[in-house]
Amino acid sequence: MIRRILDFVFVLLFIWACMILGLWVIDSAIVPLQLLGVTDDVMTAILKVAISGAMVLVWLWIWREMVKRMFWRAVKSQRHSVDNLQSNSQSKETAEHGKLQERQMKG
Amino acid sequence: MFEELSVFALGFAATFLSMPVVIQRMRKHRIVGVDVHKKDRPVIPEMGGIAVLLGLTVSVTVTAVLMPEKTGLLASFFATTLIAGVIGAVDDIKTLNAKVKPLLTALASAPILLMRTYSPYPVFPIVGAVRLTIVYPLLIPFAIAVPSNAVNMMDPFNGTMSGTCTIVTLVLLFSSLILGRSDAALLSICLLGPLLVFYYYNRYPAKVFSGDIGSLSIGAALGAIAVLGQLEAVAVVAFAPQIMNAFYGLATVGRLYERREVSRPVTMLGDGRLMASTDPKAPITLARVTLARGPLYEYEAARVFIVLASIAGVLAVLTAYLTMVTP
Repeated sequence: MIRRILDFVFVLLFIWACMILGLWVIDSAIVPLQLLGVTDDVMTAILKVAISGAMVLVWLWIWREMVKRMFWRAVKSQRHSVDNLQSNSQSKETAEHGKLQERQMKG
Repeated sequence: MFEELSVFALGFAATFLSMPVVIQRMRKHRIVGVDVHKKDRPVIPEMGGIAVLLGLTVSVTVTAVLMPEKTGLLASFFATTLIAGVIGAVDDIKTLNAKVKPLLTALASAPILLMRTYSPYPVFPIVGAVRLTIVYPLLIPFAIAVPSNAVNMMDPFNGTMSGTCTIVTLVLLFSSLILGRSDAALLSICLLGPLLVFYYYNRYPAKVFSGDIGSLSIGAALGAIAVLGQLEAVAVVAFAPQIMNAFYGLATVGRLYERREVSRPVTMLGDGRLMASTDPKAPITLARVTLARGPLYEYEAARVFIVLASIAGVLAVLTAYLTMVTP
């Protein structure tokens, strides 16, 4: 249970930190940006919004990829543990079967 | 203080008294749904959201009587919530197209836009106040449609929608107190009473389901609180689990979808535990990610959702604090 929650805590913390960092980048780098060759104020504002929008899209993409990987990794590890359980129970069954056969032979 | 307590108590009492009547009526008229995550598949009354809307009507009316200067704010908040509720009721009776529903819920923002009860100067942590006089009104329909549909999509287990939304409301209330936003605090108190009662009835094992009337209206109400109370950044963080859930689902399916159109993300084992579906076509929802590490009983999975919403809530309150200390 704790492992499941920790997975999400990690994602949430990362996404929150990225959001705060992104806001800082927008405030300190994108807003004061002077674009070379662009003199029109409206055009400058549109370009700044476009750059910020692209940053949001990258943020969302990272978020999606993180969870996708987390999900399939968890599914795989779950499958492994199920396979291990099955193979363990199979080997136990084979061993018990062998012992039974030995007893029958001795008998 | 007396006014706020009266608003909370009357909203709570109205929902508490009306909920058994709504449950009885829904059962009588066969407006019921099957609880698919239980072995015996019990039939549960739907549209419990009606009682939430009734409670909200009472709390908003009491606030308007006690604080007449807030009538405009309250009217736009209530009208937005009510429109989303009506869309939800139509969807409960006659299923709406997956593409039409978000468009209709975006229209629920009309009262806020028409009454101009919003402020186009949102405040962000680190950045501070931003002047968005042209862009802000264009974003308001999204601010209502996104939370209402995201809340509607995050109702996989008993008590998850009601529990997580109660936490979001509490977070908005705390954040509004930190930031000194009295309007947001008042609207959160209006919603909190009805939501607490609904959580009591909807938690595991559920005695009533919200129906789309409940989920769409609660989501729209929370979106409206964020817009009217200038808590946009706080709300985005508090809504992270709902946004995650909706976003992953949409990203895997690649389009807007109705639950009935896609494979179920969760399956049930013989012992009643729930397991993540291994169907590659099933959407990667929060429920499926939660269960990917192994099967859980429904009440355990619901608890994970509540813990997750609480953690997002702590980060949201931290966001409010960062906003407060931003010069």
